[in-house]
Amino acid sequence: MKGKLFPAQEIGSLPKAPWLLDYLRGKDAGQSGLDHLSKWSKVSEFENESETRTILAEPKNAAKQARLRELASIFAIRYLESAGLDYVYDGEENRIEMYEHPVRNSDGFEFYGHVRSFDSRYYRKAACVSKVAFRQAYHLDEFLLTKQHAKRPVKVPITGPYTIAEWSFNEYYQKQRTADYADFRKLKFEAKRDFVLDVAKQIIQPNLKALVDAGAEWIQVDEPALTTKPDEVPFFVDAYNECTAGISSKLSVHICFSDYRLLYPHILDLKNCSQLALEFANRDDEKRSAYDQLKLLNEFGDKREVGLGVADVHVDDIESPKLIKDRIEYASKILGDPARIYVNPDCGLRTRSWDVAYAKLTNIVKGAELARRSLS
Amino acid sequence: MVDVHLSGVFPRSEKLIDATRAAVRGKLPEAELDTVLRQDIKSLVGLQEEANLDSLVDGQLNWQDLFRPFSQLLTGIDPESLTRWFDNNTFYRKPIIVDKVSLKSNDLGQYFRSDLLPKASHKKAILPGPFTFAQLSENRAYLSFSDLVNDLARAVQRIVAALQERGYEYFQFNEPSLCAPGRTQPELEIAKHAYETCAHGIGGTSIIQIYFGDASQVIETLLDYPVDSIGIDFYATSVDSLKEYDFNKVLGCGCIDGRNSLLESPMELKTFVSRARDTLEPVDIYLTPNCDLDFLPETVAEKKVRLLGETKMLVT
Repeated sequence: MKGKLFPAQEIGSLPKAPWLLDYLRGKDAGQSGLDHLSKWSKVSEFENESETRTILAEPKNAAKQARLRELASIFAIRYLESAGLDYVYDGEENRIEMYEHPVRNSDGFEFYGHVRSFDSRYYRKAACVSKVAFRQAYHLDEFLLTKQHAKRPVKVPITGPYTIAEWSFNEYYQKQRTADYADFRKLKFEAKRDFVLDVAKQIIQPNLKALVDAGAEWIQVDEPALTTKPDEVPFFVDAYNECTAGISSKLSVHICFSDYRLLYPHILDLKNCSQLALEFANRDDEKRSAYDQLKLLNEFGDKREVGLGVADVHVDDIESPKLIKDRIEYASKILGDPARIYVNPDCGLRTRSWDVAYAKLTNIVKGAELARRSLS
Repeated sequence: MVDVHLSGVFPRSEKLIDATRAAVRGKLPEAELDTVLRQDIKSLVGLQEEANLDSLVDGQLNWQDLFRPFSQLLTGIDPESLTRWFDNNTFYRKPIIVDKVSLKSNDLGQYFRSDLLPKASHKKAILPGPFTFAQLSENRAYLSFSDLVNDLARAVQRIVAALQERGYEYFQFNEPSLCAPGRTQPELEIAKHAYETCAHGIGGTSIIQIYFGDASQVIETLLDYPVDSIGIDFYATSVDSLKEYDFNKVLGCGCIDGRNSLLESPMELKTFVSRARDTLEPVDIYLTPNCDLDFLPETVAEKKVRLLGETKMLVT
């Protein structure tokens, strides 16, 4: 990929394959699931369609389920490759979701029940009840499988320490700071710092090392919660530097749906981060004003690569290649160096249908090609 | 003993979560959802009575967010896109102000379930404050922000009057936006003017609850508002930062953290409350969660209510 302008990268999760979901729920694959398998196997030249169909048709057992999970990952890899992406992963087909997966596979957390996200939508939020600890390298198997099967370079997404801490209740670290009970505000703030740092040291660092030891060349740290509490951005910076010290692979940070102004100047202190992958398309308009936030990087002399969000993941409207080209060109002019730009959707496409996600991805690739031609 | 009160939305039980989801998908008739809702409210009432709380709330268990009922009760409001609720991993639908706002319906029974609170109880109603309501809406109809705030205040005042007729005695106005960073003095004056309308003539107790932000930035002005009490989130405000002000109102001491599952120790709370009282010397003090308990799973929220009751017995 070296030398290619505007390489296209995956950024997060895809929807779960419907036939995998049916299987995991103990249901027989419905016709729509089989049609999905058939359609996307053809489109993406998925080499294991026949084996997948056989498993779906046979009585269920644990070994077959494990193999079906692998097949779902390979299926997603092929899907991303056939869309034309230059950097791929497995669509996170086998993660519960980005928060629950790491928390359920680490020690120190306990789930009490549901809390509301919005309306009648709820999520399971864990409490940190004891010192957090590494239990297992929870992305290692999926990475090894992806590495074995991918025909394109691989980038591994991993949920970052701040987001894990921010999305959890903090019991243990707050209890440790009994001296601060005269001032609840200070107590909570300092205990949060302890929590974030320990997640970085005890959980994220060993996971990163396991991935690097297994050959991961690029790891993306996902931090969607990073600007939720602006005063705490420095916690992330310290935690990130702690867990990435000595990591030799390329590292990047993905942040979305945030006010990026709140990141600066703190984020300049990230020592081992070569790219910021950011969402913009969601808030863009005809003047391309969303991309004006890139001026922040110039203002602070931030010369890192930018993962440029050029497709909105919350709407079904498909951005045209020309629109994507415009966004890339506008961003290139602001940054003054097109070689720093990678292109991607704003965030993971898991809330879109497979059809919509594919159309968005293929148009990102086409838009990048138009932008390259325009520059040449 | 010190008074203790709840201060916001209570979480739904797992059963009500399931029932609400099913109803949204059209798989459960509304009447059956209402049956589960009534059970939850009755259970919450029992919990509050058991904990010896000094007022009773219905928990706002069918409110999808702080503003949603008002898109039905008031004219000119449509709920729209999901927007982050302050610094939480929780979202609300931003009200879009599309026309003049006024009270459309006096049929408040769906959202203020006084029918399920004991007749002789001290009933508490919790409402969005007009300033926060306007601040977190998208105004597509009014030429000025203050006109919108004033119309919201008039609508809220009419709701308060109707609720008084239903026996409510405590009226809490949720105003987290008042202590959000960057609040200006002209904005605080607009809010003050609104309270001259919506808190005017209240026969019971009027409370402004400010949370998620540092009260020290705005408290001086708020102490001039025409309300009886100000509730403060002491997980976002330090007691010491308020000590230079003459606290000429009842202090709602938000010392139970509605955003963390860790159960506070009653003895630590007793110490904290004593310190807050000695430092600020308010007219009076009561204990309350700093915000809604809806950020917690129901089982944890129940424990926090019992904790309020335990602490009440300790604080003299």
